[in-house]
Amino acid sequence: MDAKLKETILNPIFKGNPITVLVLGICSSLAVTVTLKGALVMALSVIVVCGISSLILSLLRKTIPGRVRIIVQLVVVAMMVILVDQILKSFEATYAIDKQLSVYIGLIITNCIVMGRIEAFALGNKPWPSFLDGIANGAGYGLILIIVAFFRELLGSGTLFGFDILNRFGYVPNNLVILPPFALILLGCIVWVQRSIQKGLQEK
Amino acid sequence: MNTNNNVYTVVYTTVIVVVVAAILAFVSQSLKAKQDANEKAETISQMLTSAGYGTKAELDLLNNIAKLDKYSEEIEEAFIINLDGEKVSDLDGITVYGPKDLKRQNYNIKGGANKTGEPEIPVFIFKNGRTVVPIYGAGLWGPIWGYISFNSDLTIGGAYFDHESETAGLGAKIKDDPSFQAEFVGEKADFSEINVFDIVKGGAPKDADGKSVIDNKIDAITGATMTSQGLDAAIDTWLAAYAKYFIGSKPACDKPCCGGHEEGEEPCEGNCEHHNEVEE
Repeated sequence: MDAKLKETILNPIFKGNPITVLVLGICSSLAVTVTLKGALVMALSVIVVCGISSLILSLLRKTIPGRVRIIVQLVVVAMMVILVDQILKSFEATYAIDKQLSVYIGLIITNCIVMGRIEAFALGNKPWPSFLDGIANGAGYGLILIIVAFFRELLGSGTLFGFDILNRFGYVPNNLVILPPFALILLGCIVWVQRSIQKGLQEK
Repeated sequence: MNTNNNVYTVVYTTVIVVVVAAILAFVSQSLKAKQDANEKAETISQMLTSAGYGTKAELDLLNNIAKLDKYSEEIEEAFIINLDGEKVSDLDGITVYGPKDLKRQNYNIKGGANKTGEPEIPVFIFKNGRTVVPIYGAGLWGPIWGYISFNSDLTIGGAYFDHESETAGLGAKIKDDPSFQAEFVGEKADFSEINVFDIVKGGAPKDADGKSVIDNKIDAITGATMTSQGLDAAIDTWLAAYAKYFIGSKPACDKPCCGGHEEGEEPCEGNCEHHNEVEE
């Protein structure tokens, strides 16, 4: 694998993370991080939507009329999102989680990461790198989601993946952690940690 | 190729949209049966929870087929009634009323522009003697619905509520917090009043031991006023629709005043009062 491709994959995970560096996809990272299970399914859904939409649009990139390119992107992303939602609803194992995530699966389309990466990368690159870029950005988003959900479920419900962890020791779940503002505080902490490691991100 | 001329743009967008629509229509049609089965199994597990056949978590460990089996094993009788409490028709096999069906009937009960016909509301009687009836209404962000079961003496045996998009940790407690649902158990619905059931902000009446007294009031959820009010309204609307069924199914009141009391006399309590009001 050449260095450029490797960079395409690794950059969005940490150095150019879509949530903490590009500050995209904040809304859903506040909304679906109450439980780890929900965050995991959401992360996988975004990875699939991001990867495949980037692939399709990269394949179509030379044929798309410039004036309607946003609309074409929107149609393709919307299709992917509906497909993911329909498939989650169809399996017994994922039905309950889809119910729990409710509107947020459908709202993946409004996640700026998806359209942002298509506009910035897929329309100007070959299908394979575009596909990897989509996957990697979805994964970068998912990583933050899972970190936030880990703390929120542990402190807010005393459980992890629904299993009692802190609850066993008489922990009283903190309701503030369940509420969206706490996710923002956690995100702020993650950004803080990242910026103290990556000095280049600090504004002068 | 010039991708910017008008004809190309119009043709291109048309083709894209038609192709995407075809894919979605195909997928939706081919997955519909599975999705409906999932929804039905979910509804059944909610009703079984309310009827006291295990907690929701326990029932969720069963797969769809096992849930359906358990339902057909435990159901005694299921039928549809009208607002006069009269049986209209039987519900065959494992026909249940999920949120979509309830939504339609909710319009019918409340009347207005969306009314499609006379209300036809279901009654499910389980072998353990409990009668399960659904409720449906509006929460803060979207629909809320649920299933309440009554013992033969019309005390509430259990309740399970679900919602589409209430706030996690607050309004969502109507579904996620077993202790909220447990508050309903043992309470009484007062079918003789317009407020059949009350979810009270600031605390329901308690006895000296801090236990809720048996009446038709329970505590609302802190931080979820709108959802609590929505649930209260949903329960009132739907239980009122069942009032004639439930009160009619009780043995006739044996107090003398039931035949109609004279002015100035002490009004009777409970059902008698209701009977009098209806007859007058």
